[in-house]
Amino acid sequence: MTTYEAGDVTLHQIREFVWEIPQEGDMRAPARVLASEALLDEISEDKTLQQLKNSTHLPGVRKYAVCMPDGHQGYGFPVGGVAGIDTEEGCISPGAVGYDINCGVRMMKTNLSYDDVQGREEELVDSLFANIPSGLGGGGVVEGDIDAVEAILDRGMEWALEEGYAVEEDLAHCEDEGVRPESDPSKVSQKAKDRGKNQIGSLGSGNHFLEVQRVTDTYLDDVADAYGLAEDQIVVLIHCGSRGLGHQVCTDYLRSIEKAHSGLLDQLPDKELAAAPAGSQLAEDYYGAMGACINFAWVNRQLIMHRTRKVFERVFGSDWETLGMDLLYDVAHNIAKKETHEVEGGEERELYVHRKGATRAFPAGHPEVPGAYLDVGQPIIIPGSMGAGSYVLRGGEESMDLTFGSTAHGAGRVMSRTQAKQDFWGGDVQDDLEQQHIYVKAQSGATVAEEAPGVYKDVDEVVRVSDALGIGDKVARTFPVCNIKG
Amino acid sequence: MSYELRDHTADVAVEATGPTLSAAFSATADGLAAAMCDELPDAGDQFEFEVRAEGREALLFDYLDQLIYERDVRAVLPVDNDAEVRTEGDEWVVEASARGVPLAEISAREIKAVTYSEMAIEEIDDGWRAYVVFDV
Repeated sequence: MTTYEAGDVTLHQIREFVWEIPQEGDMRAPARVLASEALLDEISEDKTLQQLKNSTHLPGVRKYAVCMPDGHQGYGFPVGGVAGIDTEEGCISPGAVGYDINCGVRMMKTNLSYDDVQGREEELVDSLFANIPSGLGGGGVVEGDIDAVEAILDRGMEWALEEGYAVEEDLAHCEDEGVRPESDPSKVSQKAKDRGKNQIGSLGSGNHFLEVQRVTDTYLDDVADAYGLAEDQIVVLIHCGSRGLGHQVCTDYLRSIEKAHSGLLDQLPDKELAAAPAGSQLAEDYYGAMGACINFAWVNRQLIMHRTRKVFERVFGSDWETLGMDLLYDVAHNIAKKETHEVEGGEERELYVHRKGATRAFPAGHPEVPGAYLDVGQPIIIPGSMGAGSYVLRGGEESMDLTFGSTAHGAGRVMSRTQAKQDFWGGDVQDDLEQQHIYVKAQSGATVAEEAPGVYKDVDEVVRVSDALGIGDKVARTFPVCNIKG
Repeated sequence: MSYELRDHTADVAVEATGPTLSAAFSATADGLAAAMCDELPDAGDQFEFEVRAEGREALLFDYLDQLIYERDVRAVLPVDNDAEVRTEGDEWVVEASARGVPLAEISAREIKAVTYSEMAIEEIDDGWRAYVVFDV
């Protein structure tokens, strides 16, 4: 059997692109990494593999914990990690969801072609940057109050529909139709709501962005047709999450669980993995609060999409319906959801599927795929860096068996932010990109340096592995036209 | 009393030292501000707050979390941090003050949250050292 030595960790190759770390010591299940050797070389350079092993210490973890091809070191649980944890005998871990609850990506289509946009990129990027709140303290699309926050936490995209920021079709093209059924706003602290009310409809900063892209390639033509994607078409990708509200909810529950369930915490190798036992009050409360944050993040992305439609209307002199600015789909990267999966021994169990920096990838025919995509599988949106392509995939047939119905979420970082700022200068990065006809505008030059294309893994390689494994099949590739960030 | 920003693949870490535990707390808070903004103007008003927790690490966590909260609700970046750490029976207390630089006057990047991942607070030869990873 082929093995890969990564420091103290030995990985055994199960088959092409599937590597296993056998169960040992206090691990409650094996761990798997889905990667080519080139990606594994990068994944094994930081603490990703140790964090992946640590995640298998969580009680009730089923089958194996698995790291996606874009995995990298996070805090506690690795980014790119997926763990299915039993909802009766296991636990739920806020740190294994992440601070930015329902950080995710949505793609909006247009019927514009690249020709229509060429020569107007600067006007477009300036107008998007001026109209879409980004960075720290930039406010939100909506001047919210606590009542608005409560309504958003409770009703998600239904609120946006009632307020005129969404149309029915937007909800039909969102997971759960944009309303998390088990959300409980009463479990979200006042502190979190206070942070949220000034940020309703805002990108934030870090790796969050809005990017206008052109479709460069389509691969599965029948699926591309079903998604309404064709070469040369302009699309818009929006990447952000639940803002300070979600960050505060994760923080609050991490601390509450630490205090109430210290016995369980003492068994875990990293305090950041703190988990509430299944059936405990805190497990229920966190699940309800997280659901409310999921709603908040959907509305956040919806408001940004709404504002983007307005900007396009002004720049292209036509209403957004005529411009065909319809939502393709909205996917979450940081989330835990109750789902039923086949586990070891062929048993069907309800699990809290924790996906942190991983995307749900349900195949055609899965009952939770929205009607619009039931015959072809759900769309998956994989953003690359601002100098590289992004991809649209569809949920693959193998995902249920291999990854609890999941695939990658992006390119995945390889270089630290501190290193990036030494290696790159924001202005130079912008000039280089402009040479390639990619127009970037950011609140902070440092953000551009920290997010320079060179700090990311090769997104093509990540997608190649996903496609070859059949967990997320390649449908289309896009390339940046202009990008705004915090 | 000083801090350094340390490498982390996706996030950012602050390593801070000080002659006393209080000084190490203050330096960590200044490191948090530095992770968000490179150039700080003299603007802004002083504000004060108090945080209580059940242990030393929990106190540092809650103190930094409170600074992030104050940043979002006051729309200021807390700089020139001063922390006075003490114990009251089983409880750990920090009396803190900071100068809040209005976010409108700077171009700052967001730190999302404080984490426990790799957190260390330890006594060293000439004082205290703290190490904290922040989620970006």
